[in-house]
Amino acid sequence: MNIVLNGVTVAIKSPPLASLLTVLREELNVTSTKVGCEQGGCGACTALVNGKPQRTCLTPIAAVDGASVTTVEGLGDSDHLTAVQQSFVNHYAAQCGFCTPAMIIAATAYLEGNGSSDREEIEEALKGHTCRCTGYQKIVSAVAAAVAETTFDLTVTTPSPNTVIKSGGQT
Amino acid sequence: MSVDVLIPETTDAAVEAFGDGTDITVIAGGTIVMQLLNYRRITVSKAMLLNKAGLSYLRQSDSTWTVGAMTPLSDLLGMFSPLGACAANVADHEVQYQATIGGNLCAPTPPEHPSGDLQGPLIALGATVRSVGAGGERTDGVEEFLASRAGRLVLDISFETPQAGAFAALDRPHTRHFTALAVSGVKSGDTVRLAATGVGPVGVRLLSAEAAAGDPEAAGNAALADAVLRDDALASAWYRERTLPSLVARVLNEIKEAS
Amino acid sequence: MKVVGARLPRYDGVGHVTGQTQYVDDVRVQGMLWAKALRSPVHHAKITHLDTAKAEAMSGVHAVVTWRDVPLLEYGHLSALGIPADEPLLAKDTVRYMGQPIALVAADDEDTAQAAVNAIEVKFEELPTLFDVRNAFDEGAPKIHQWGNWYPHFEGDMDRRQIRKGNIEDAFDRADKIISGVYRPAAIEHVPLETQVSLVVPEPDGRLTIYSCTQALYFSLAVVAAHLEVPMNRIKIVGGTVGGGFGGKVDTATETLTALAAMKANRPVKWRWTREEEFLVSSTRAPWHMEIIDAVTEDGWILGRKMLTLHDSGAYARFSPYGLTKHSFHHTGAYTIPNLHFDGYVVFTNRTPTTAMRGFGVTSISFAVETHLSRIADELGLDPYEVRLKNANRINDTSPNRIRYTDPSSVEVIQALSEAAGGELAPAYAGATRAPREGEMLPEHLIGQLKTEGH
Ligand SMILES: Cc1cc2nc3c(=O)[nH]c(=O)nc-3n(C[C@H](O)[C@H](O)[C@H](O)COP(=O)(O)OP(=O)(O)OC[C@H]3O[C@@H](n4cnc5c(N)ncnc54)[C@H](O)[C@@H]3O)c2cc1C
Ligand code: FES
Ligand code: FES
Repeated sequence: MNIVLNGVTVAIKSPPLASLLTVLREELNVTSTKVGCEQGGCGACTALVNGKPQRTCLTPIAAVDGASVTTVEGLGDSDHLTAVQQSFVNHYAAQCGFCTPAMIIAATAYLEGNGSSDREEIEEALKGHTCRCTGYQKIVSAVAAAVAETTFDLTVTTPSPNTVIKSGGQT
Repeated sequence: MSVDVLIPETTDAAVEAFGDGTDITVIAGGTIVMQLLNYRRITVSKAMLLNKAGLSYLRQSDSTWTVGAMTPLSDLLGMFSPLGACAANVADHEVQYQATIGGNLCAPTPPEHPSGDLQGPLIALGATVRSVGAGGERTDGVEEFLASRAGRLVLDISFETPQAGAFAALDRPHTRHFTALAVSGVKSGDTVRLAATGVGPVGVRLLSAEAAAGDPEAAGNAALADAVLRDDALASAWYRERTLPSLVARVLNEIKEAS
Repeated sequence: MKVVGARLPRYDGVGHVTGQTQYVDDVRVQGMLWAKALRSPVHHAKITHLDTAKAEAMSGVHAVVTWRDVPLLEYGHLSALGIPADEPLLAKDTVRYMGQPIALVAADDEDTAQAAVNAIEVKFEELPTLFDVRNAFDEGAPKIHQWGNWYPHFEGDMDRRQIRKGNIEDAFDRADKIISGVYRPAAIEHVPLETQVSLVVPEPDGRLTIYSCTQALYFSLAVVAAHLEVPMNRIKIVGGTVGGGFGGKVDTATETLTALAAMKANRPVKWRWTREEEFLVSSTRAPWHMEIIDAVTEDGWILGRKMLTLHDSGAYARFSPYGLTKHSFHHTGAYTIPNLHFDGYVVFTNRTPTTAMRGFGVTSISFAVETHLSRIADELGLDPYEVRLKNANRINDTSPNRIRYTDPSSVEVIQALSEAAGGELAPAYAGATRAPREGEMLPEHLIGQLKTEGH
C-alpha cells in the first residue's frame, strides 16, 4: 500500500484496517491530525483525501490505497502561510490550537469549492468540527476574511511577536 | 491478530467473496465499523472492503430509481423528500461524503440508541432491497429485509418517485449527530405510507397512523400504538411520546399541502 | 503603553496553523509503550480478588501496576495545605466510583495493553450506592467514604464550612416577607478536545521526564513526587501546551500512574485516554444543591440570608473543600447582605470525583443568587434591576467573609445589563454609582456594617 502524502508517495506498512489517522500519526509521524475521539464526532483528525475533507479516524488505510492525502503540513509552512492559515492567525481563530489544523483543512476545501463569505454558509460547512475554546465566532470571521480577501498575499511572513497586526476585516 | 482483507474489484467478485456471509465483516464507508474497531468493540478476522466493487450508482428509468449500496449519502442530498431531506439530516458534510446508503440500512443497533436514519424514508417509499447471501439473490421490502439482514450483502435498493413526500425530525440544539426521532411520509395514489426511526431498534412502519391519515392529529396519536418507546442516550421515552404525534401530524400536513 | 489595547499576534498562532505546535501526544520517543487501565465496572464495591499474573505473563506486556507498587498510596490534591488525603492512586480494597483505576498495564501497543487489562482477574462484592447528596444525611444512607458521607476537616475538624455574620434571627424578625428557593445545577464535563494524556520517559540518570497536559504543573510535580516518594529534583515536567483544559486538567489525572509504569518497565510509557474515558471518568464540574431563604422588606431590601449548600464532591475530596470555601465567600453574589447564616457541606457520593471548572465554586452560586434575586423581584412585584441596584455592593460594604469592598463594580454592571436588555431605570437608579452608601441607599440595616472597622 502507499499514499501520496502532501505530494510525496510513501509506502505504508501498517495493517490494512489501521485507520488513516493512526497511520499518519504513528507510522508517518504526521501529527497535525489529532486524536480527539476516534469516533468521527469531533473532526480534529480531518485531512483532505483526493481533495475532499475526510475523517481519518474512520478511514481504513486499505480503502485509500494510492490516494492523495493532504494535511496542514502540506499547505503553508511558517514562512509561507496560505490565506486561510494567515487569516486564522490574524483573527485569533486558534486558541489552544487542537482543533485548528482540521478546521484549516475544512476551510481550505470550502474556499476551493468557491464558498462564499456568508457566515451561515461557513458555519454549515464547518459544522462537523468541534472547537471548545473559541466559541466559533473568530473561526467564522477568519474564514470569511480569507474568502473576501482573495488577493491575500500568500507569502506574507509571520509578524514577529513585537509587531502589531492591522485589523483584517474582524467583525 | 492478523486480518484477512479482501478488496473485490467487481460486484461478481464481491458476491463470490461474501458467500453466505459467515465470519466476514463488510466495510462500506466504514463510518460505523471503524468506530467499533477503534474502541475494540468488535474483532474482525476477515473483512471485505466494498469501495471498488462497482456498487456506487444512482440509476433512473422512468419513475424507478435504483441506488447502489455504496452510494454515499452526499449523492442523495438533492433527491425528493423524505429521502433527500433525511440524508441531509445525517451527521455533517464529511461523514455524508463517506457514509453509504447500504451501511445506513445495515447499521447495527448500538446499545446506546437506534441508528440508521434512512430506514425511515426507505420504508415510507416502499423500497425493495436486492441482496445476496445464503440461498442466493433475494429482493425484499425494507421491513422484511431488516428483520432478516444477518448474513446478507446488499447490492442495491429500488423505489419509485413519490407523488409527494415529507420528512420531519427532532432538531435539538447541540445534537446534530444522530436523530432521536424522525418521521417520513410518502403519498402514492390515495394512500399515505408513514414510517419512523427512533421508536424501535430499527425503522418501523406506522400502520395505525396510516389508517387515520385523513386526520393528522388523530394519526399522530394513533402512531404511539406502533412505537416502542425507550429511554436512551439521545432522548427519553417521555420526550418521544410527546413529540412523535406532532412530527406525524407535521408530515401529514406537509404532504397535504404538497399534493 | 505598547501592549494594552494593541492587537498583538498570539505567540503560538503560527505553530497552531501549521500543525507544528507539539502537544503531549505529538512527542515522539524511541521504544515507547502504551498504557491502558483496568477500571472499576461498578459504582461501589469491595475488591475481593485481584490477580494480575496472567496479564503479566503475556508477551508484549512490560509492566502491570497495582496499589502494591505505589510507595505512598494516598495523597490528596490539597495535602500540601495540610488537608488530609483520602484518595488512593489505585484502588486497594474498595472502589467508590465507576471507572476508578485499579491497575495500569504498559505494553508494546494499545491492543496488547487492552488484552492484558482484560486478562486481569478481579472480583467485586457490590455495596449499596449513593448518588443524591440529599440522601447522604439519612440515617440509613449507605456509608460510602472512610470519613463518613461528608468532609469533616474544615479548619481541622469542622464538618462544614460555616459563615455567621450579624444577627440572623433579628433580620428574620424584622422581615416583611420570607422568600426561599432551591437551585440545583447539574454536573458538566469540560470536554477539552485533547483528552487526558501524559508521556513519561525514564532518563539514564534516574530522573523522570514527564510530558503532561496539566493545567497546574507545580501541583502535578508535588503530587507525583509525593506518591513516588522521590525528591522533586528527580522529576522534570514538560508542560504548557494544553489542548483545552477549562479546569478539568487541574487534577493530576495520568502523570503519577504513567510514571510508575515507566519506572517499572524502565521504558517510556504513554497513557492517552479515549474520549469515552474522558466522558465517563475524568472529573466534571460538580452538581450543587443550594437552598436559599431570604428575609426581605416590601421595598426589596435583603435583610438576611440563610443558606444551605450541598456540594457533590463525588467519591473523593480532591479540590472540593477549596471550591466550597470560595463558594461560601461569594454566597451573597454581587449584593450586600449584613446578616448571614451559611452552612456548606462537601458531600461524598459514588460519582466521579468533581473538580474545578471556570470560576470554581462561584458559577453555581452566581446562578442561584441571580435566579433568586429575580424571584424576589417577582414575588414583591418590583423591577428586578432596581432590587439588584439597591442591594448591589458599594464602596465600604463588606463581603460574607468580612472583606471591605474598596472598588466594587456591581452597580455599573447591573446598569449596563439593564441598558443592554432595553430597560429604563428610575432616575435614582440610573444615576447610582459605586460611591459609599448614603441617604435612601443607606437603610438602617446597613449602617451597622459600616462601623465594623477592622473586621
Ligand atoms: C459523527 C457521526 C454522525 C453520524 N450521524 C448519523 C445520523 O445522524 N444518522 C444516521 O443514520 N447515521 C449516522 N451516523 C452513522 C453512519 O455514518 C451512517 O449510518 C452511515 O450511513 C453508515 O454507512 P457506512 O457506509 O459508513 O457504514 P459502515 O460502517 O461501512 O457499515 C455499517 C454496517 O453495515 C454493514 N454494511 C455496510 N454495507 C453493507 C452492505 N452493502 N451489505 C451488507 N452489510 C453492509 C457493515 O458490515 C456494518 O455492520 C453517524 C456517524 C458518525 C461518525
Ligand atoms: S478523531 Fe476523528 S473525528 Fe474525532
Ligand atoms: S482552539 Fe481549542 S478546541 Fe479549538
